Amino acid sequence: MKKKLFTVLVLVTFISSFMLVGCNLFKSNTSDEGSKEVNEKKKDELVLAFDSEPEAGFDPTTGWGRYGSPLFQSTLLKRDDKLNIVNDLATKYKVSEDGKVWTVKMLEDVKFSDGEPLTAADIVFTFETAINNGSVVDLNGLGKVEAVDDYTVKFTLKEPQSTFVNALVATGIVPKHAYGKDYAENPIGSGPFQLVQWDKGQQLIIKANPEYYDKKSNFKQITFLFLNEDAAFAAAQAGTVDLAYIPAAFSKQKVKGMRLETVQTVDNRGIVFPFVKSGEVNENGLPIGNDVTADPAIRHAINMGVDRQALVEGVLEGHGTPAYTSVDGLPWWNPETVIKDADMDGAKKLLNEAGWKDTDGDGILENGSLKAEFTLYYLANDAIRQSLAISVVDMLKPLGINIKLEGGSWDMIAKKMYSNPVLMGWGSHDSHEMYNIYSSESAGIEYYNTGYYQNKMVDSYFEKALSSKNEEEAIEFWKKAQWDGTTGLSAKGDAPWAWLVNINHLYLVKDGLDIGDQRIHVHGHGWPATDNIVDWKWTK
Amino acid sequence: MIPSLKNPDKRFSLNPKQLTLFKILISIVFLAIVILGGVFLDEGKIVTNLSERNSAPSLDHLFGTDWLGRDMYTRTVMGLSLSIGVGLIGAIGSALIALFLGMVAATMGKMADRIISWIIDLFLSVPHLVTLILIAFTFGGGFKGIVVGLTLTHWPSLARVIRAEVMQVRSAEFVQVSQKMGKSKWWIALHHILPHIAPQLLIGFMLLFPHVILHEAAVTFLGLGLSPHEPAIGIILSESMKYLSSGMWWLAFFPGLCLLIVVRTFDQIGENIRVLMNPTKTHD
Repeated sequence: MKKKLFTVLVLVTFISSFMLVGCNLFKSNTSDEGSKEVNEKKKDELVLAFDSEPEAGFDPTTGWGRYGSPLFQSTLLKRDDKLNIVNDLATKYKVSEDGKVWTVKMLEDVKFSDGEPLTAADIVFTFETAINNGSVVDLNGLGKVEAVDDYTVKFTLKEPQSTFVNALVATGIVPKHAYGKDYAENPIGSGPFQLVQWDKGQQLIIKANPEYYDKKSNFKQITFLFLNEDAAFAAAQAGTVDLAYIPAAFSKQKVKGMRLETVQTVDNRGIVFPFVKSGEVNENGLPIGNDVTADPAIRHAINMGVDRQALVEGVLEGHGTPAYTSVDGLPWWNPETVIKDADMDGAKKLLNEAGWKDTDGDGILENGSLKAEFTLYYLANDAIRQSLAISVVDMLKPLGINIKLEGGSWDMIAKKMYSNPVLMGWGSHDSHEMYNIYSSESAGIEYYNTGYYQNKMVDSYFEKALSSKNEEEAIEFWKKAQWDGTTGLSAKGDAPWAWLVNINHLYLVKDGLDIGDQRIHVHGHGWPATDNIVDWKWTK
Repeated sequence: MIPSLKNPDKRFSLNPKQLTLFKILISIVFLAIVILGGVFLDEGKIVTNLSERNSAPSLDHLFGTDWLGRDMYTRTVMGLSLSIGVGLIGAIGSALIALFLGMVAATMGKMADRIISWIIDLFLSVPHLVTLILIAFTFGGGFKGIVVGLTLTHWPSLARVIRAEVMQVRSAEFVQVSQKMGKSKWWIALHHILPHIAPQLLIGFMLLFPHVILHEAAVTFLGLGLSPHEPAIGIILSESMKYLSSGMWWLAFFPGLCLLIVVRTFDQIGENIRVLMNPTKTHD
């Protein structure tokens, strides 16, 4: 009896596993006819499959629209596809000689989707609300904002800050008259779209805003489905979506009627090292610093030893680029920061010269009483971070650097990140992010500069960049902060990070759907694609 | 008793008892191989090998390789060994709790009995897995969370069995006599009752084991347990889900099958021991 039961169980396992494999073959064959019908019916509609649902809702004063288009709201300035800053609501803006007062003139006949006019009072209200909300929108430098007349706003900064322009790019304007507690769920704005319906955890439906003042969308209605990676891919195979985000693991499989678009990004991943020696604690009692990673030889050796191209090929299936800084490819990136990697011999020599030798023959280097080992933390539920972490550990083992891995939630990592290396990712169109990650001012503030990195020269470049009058002037100093020939924050200089890869964002796009020229995407897979959503169109 | 001596020609016909013993022996040897394999297998085999990713089962890689080029056979054996280890700690802990509470309930008076029965009912009223997830979550996941969770959730049914058994033994005459002679409750518990319930405890422990392993796999599958880079069987299975839709069936099939076999083996051992030790069934 027992034996029979066992045989049956084995058989069932066999059969069901083959059926699971079979399923997806069948699906891709049968899906075609259905999708054709859907296509013909809905030429002016779009269905997109994304994962990252904005759970906090659509309130720009608490962070909505930081990545990707705010859809419902419009901003004072925006970036074009080449990442240049151009006017949106603003018609022109002026910065005073001392860099502290920004005066913005704006369009006069703009209306919110409910028909009310948009005036300077709404802008003042938006920025004041954002400051009070203490949101992720970085407005620390903003002192006060006031309306000069109905269509002119004056921003007064505490310190000159050239990156303040990004606050004007990222903050969608909310209506003073229609802003309340439930605004995040019922957004009203002056953007290209209006909310139709938001089923939390399932979908978001939007339609074109008839009052929109600029180029109107080619679609009457757009539906965003919030699906996980598998479901998004399955939906693409079934032909029910026009665009689906997919992870690199699925990129090898062809889906009939869809093409793969791979978009270059600054969605980067790297390892941030504690820069100082251990011993101190911060104000919350969390330990700071790590004796092993405080040694520049270790940090440089890791930067030299890691084979970034192999990570791109192996972990990202080739859909990525090697990363050398947090701003690769952006206008303020300094290309001199590119170093030679996969250089095991160079790394070994460097470690040897710094006094790291394997004295007890266990394959791990020692320097005096210090062993070349540490724990690397990573976000456990992120498969790419996990794969990167595992691969890096194995790549560095031959160097004699022993890395233990520990996966955890952000809550758990937050307790360890000041004293242990962490695999993190950043990536933004806001050059202020570099200041946040590397300046000594932001050391130990949340996830910024967790390594307590400090370099006086870099700090002084930051100061000059921030006090520049505009972005073009500042760019020179941003570049020098990375590497000025003698020092800098990149791997050539102090190497407080070992940047690994920039992850290309992959989308399956239905044939005939033109998603325009995608600019270099920022952190986050999905929403950044919507930056130019008004340019999307069907070509056939 | 030794038929092989009586009929030399029929060397392989064993009587049921020997057959049972033989089964137990085979199962134990098999499990020992798995455990030792996990301990002695070279960690070097699960080093990432980015040039041999996603390869189907072959002679080089019996179970194929995963998306980082790690040998799935090695990972599976290590995972099973880890799971058995966790299961062992969890099952021992649970059995000890069950033993203690069962004894206390049956010997320490009505009030203790009522309280403990109530606790048992309380734990049995909620599905194991839910309490397990809650406890593992409170302890912040990880190895500690899982082991504590498993230990604290798997004792109630065994405790109930032990309680009933102890009550039976307690009413036996020799225990009554011992009581009249002025022996203390603890003395009686240790010297009269414990030896009598040892078989039940052993069987209960063996039958807890597969349960515990499956639940360990379930919790790590849900991502509450060990770090996802550890080679635990639940983690391997949950990772494989992502790759099923890309046709990499071997990632789920072999580890799943192995888990099934190991769990069934433990179950077999438990059942067979029960048959051996149960006086009414021994001579079936």
